[in-house]
Amino acid sequence: MMGLRAGTAVFSARVVSAGLRLIGRGATTLPGRVALKIYPPLLSLLSQGQHIIVLTGTNGKTTTTHMVTDILESLGLHVITNVSGANLATGIATTMVEGLRLRRKAEKSGKKTVYVLEADEAAFAKVSGPLQPQVSVVTNLFRDQLDRYGELVHTQAFIAGGLDKSASRILLNADDSLVAALSKGREDRVVFFGMDEASMTENSVTNPGKSTLGETTADASFCPFCQTKYTYRARSFGHLGAFRCPSCGYQRQEPALSVSYRMPTPEEWADMLSGSVSVKGPSDIGFPVTLVWKGESVTVGLPIPGLHNFYNTAAAVSACVLLGEQWNEPSLNFAACANAVAQVQPAFGRMEKFRIGGKSLCLLLVKNPVGLERALSFVSQAADAGGMYLLLNSNDADGKDVSWIWDVDFESRSYPEKVFVSGERYGDMYLRLAYAGIDRNRMKARPMSACGSLVDEALSACEDGKCLYILPNYTAMLALRQILVKRYHLKDFWK
Amino acid sequence: MGDKIRLCHLYPDLLNLYGDRGNILALMRRAKLRGIAFEVEAVSIGEAFDPDRYDMVFLGGGQDAEQNILRTDFVTEKGEKIKEAVEAGKVFLCICGGYQMMGQYYEEHDGNRIECLGAIHIWTVGKKKRFIGDTAYVCDFLPDSKTLYGFENHSGRTYLGEGVKPLAKVVLGAGNNGEDGTEGALYKNVYCTYSHGSFLPKNPAMTDHLLQKALEVQKQGTYGLPPLESDAEDFARRALPTCKNY
Repeated sequence: MMGLRAGTAVFSARVVSAGLRLIGRGATTLPGRVALKIYPPLLSLLSQGQHIIVLTGTNGKTTTTHMVTDILESLGLHVITNVSGANLATGIATTMVEGLRLRRKAEKSGKKTVYVLEADEAAFAKVSGPLQPQVSVVTNLFRDQLDRYGELVHTQAFIAGGLDKSASRILLNADDSLVAALSKGREDRVVFFGMDEASMTENSVTNPGKSTLGETTADASFCPFCQTKYTYRARSFGHLGAFRCPSCGYQRQEPALSVSYRMPTPEEWADMLSGSVSVKGPSDIGFPVTLVWKGESVTVGLPIPGLHNFYNTAAAVSACVLLGEQWNEPSLNFAACANAVAQVQPAFGRMEKFRIGGKSLCLLLVKNPVGLERALSFVSQAADAGGMYLLLNSNDADGKDVSWIWDVDFESRSYPEKVFVSGERYGDMYLRLAYAGIDRNRMKARPMSACGSLVDEALSACEDGKCLYILPNYTAMLALRQILVKRYHLKDFWK
Repeated sequence: MGDKIRLCHLYPDLLNLYGDRGNILALMRRAKLRGIAFEVEAVSIGEAFDPDRYDMVFLGGGQDAEQNILRTDFVTEKGEKIKEAVEAGKVFLCICGGYQMMGQYYEEHDGNRIECLGAIHIWTVGKKKRFIGDTAYVCDFLPDSKTLYGFENHSGRTYLGEGVKPLAKVVLGAGNNGEDGTEGALYKNVYCTYSHGSFLPKNPAMTDHLLQKALEVQKQGTYGLPPLESDAEDFARRALPTCKNY
């Protein structure tokens, strides 16, 4: 039973939430903030006896959360999840309060409920104890905005603190040396996911970098235990790969769930695309990935492309399988979870695609160096790319410091003929592209105030049947979406 | 044979934050567009640094954890050779953490003192509050556009000792320490600044100045750097939010 104080907290959160909705505002964090003020232990009360997966890490947590949700829902479960961005304690509390009612409704229709919660890395340390999740997932640790948490080791320490406050199973990225190091002393609880080593090698062989100077370097090249430089048998991207410390022997461990794939050659893509009229590009076809768990193997078409999404897939499927084991829920078996990957949809601003007349528009949110690197790699390989549009803002939520764009390897890729630039820091991005050798005749750069009309220009320059790829950072994406809704009469497509 | 500049990039695998790479891209671009060959060599931990090989040395900034890994190598293994290169007038560009490490010491906010190289007479005291934001400076020795634009992100307060001049005067931002209006340091041909990321790309006059210095030292005489437009750089400067006021 809920005590008076807890009851008041929940009631107040609902009143705030209703009030905010009445005035047309989003109610994703304030209700939870109010509720936690009134009754601080609210999270632990609301999470008692619940099935909970918490996901954290610097990149891919929104997409992975979304994937876990899609997989579980397609297997007939009821999922309560926090909306992207509401991943601090207040947002999670809001989600839990709203979950009370949703859960009862689902119970009436005979559905079991699972909470799938994305937690910011620092928030994870706070919510892990109260929530007592059954499964905690750490996707990866890449350098983020520098003025946010400072250094990666600090972020890693936040997460370690959170892991020790619950008894959950811990799902770690085997290929990320910083994440895998979190297994030390927690071996009994840890399960690894990762990329099949042959797929990594193949990727670096078929897509060799051709950077001539000052190669962009990895975020974690040195062993945290003895400060020796790693050697790699194979790499996938960034510092992810089959690492090994030659001095103390710390190395990547074989993952329990591995994902493998083979990037089709441009000729193979052309072949695959020629057969179908409705298919406009590689992003319209599911990417064939093979998932292996305890000797069992499933090949499935992943609807969201990109190498990083193969990792997200491996994390999502193994999170569902682990939850199934913990919960003893037979519907969450490996084959069912892996096959459900075919049902996943992109998350908010992550490879979302919209049709506008005979053309399409694809949003790829880019928040940090590795995210931008992945997005550029994807666009440069997309057969349907009819233009690229980068937007760079520098608000608090983006990080005020935009110097990281110089750490990204723009040089070793080729881009669509027309490149557009906007955002508050359009000058910085323009110069970055110019220094990467993109001729200024191919570029149009405009201030943020003109970012909407620049979409018009970019779309009219885009050939019919092709796609304009838009790569904004966080606040630029929020602003641009509102403009897109008005300009092209799109519905509230983020709901 | 045309002219050629060889740059030594110190610890690129450890000091890889804050877009330092952009500075090397800038030097390379403005050298190559003038027909001057530009080579970059990486020298990291355990690798020998031969000052005679290089016309320029670049030392950037990194995370504390990484700077701690390399400090011993930098101070004890390479230290003497680096000081030799400094005194021989080689052109150095040192940014943020690299700037601090060239100095005498770094005092952490808890009072713990970390000994640094001592190649230039400067020292740094760490404070909790970070200086983060756009900066503008005026640099007297540049020929035309004396305004430098940058971005600072540092918690160290650096002070200049005898024989070291500031690189520029602060007009926006904190600069070295937020107190004395100075930014960066200049000792012989060692150029130091807290302005990271796209410091050189947005300040082509400084890029050109460093290229010219490097060639003058190499030739032990004057060198006429061919003129070169800077349309893209000027566009980016004008687009800066700070450009209107400074």
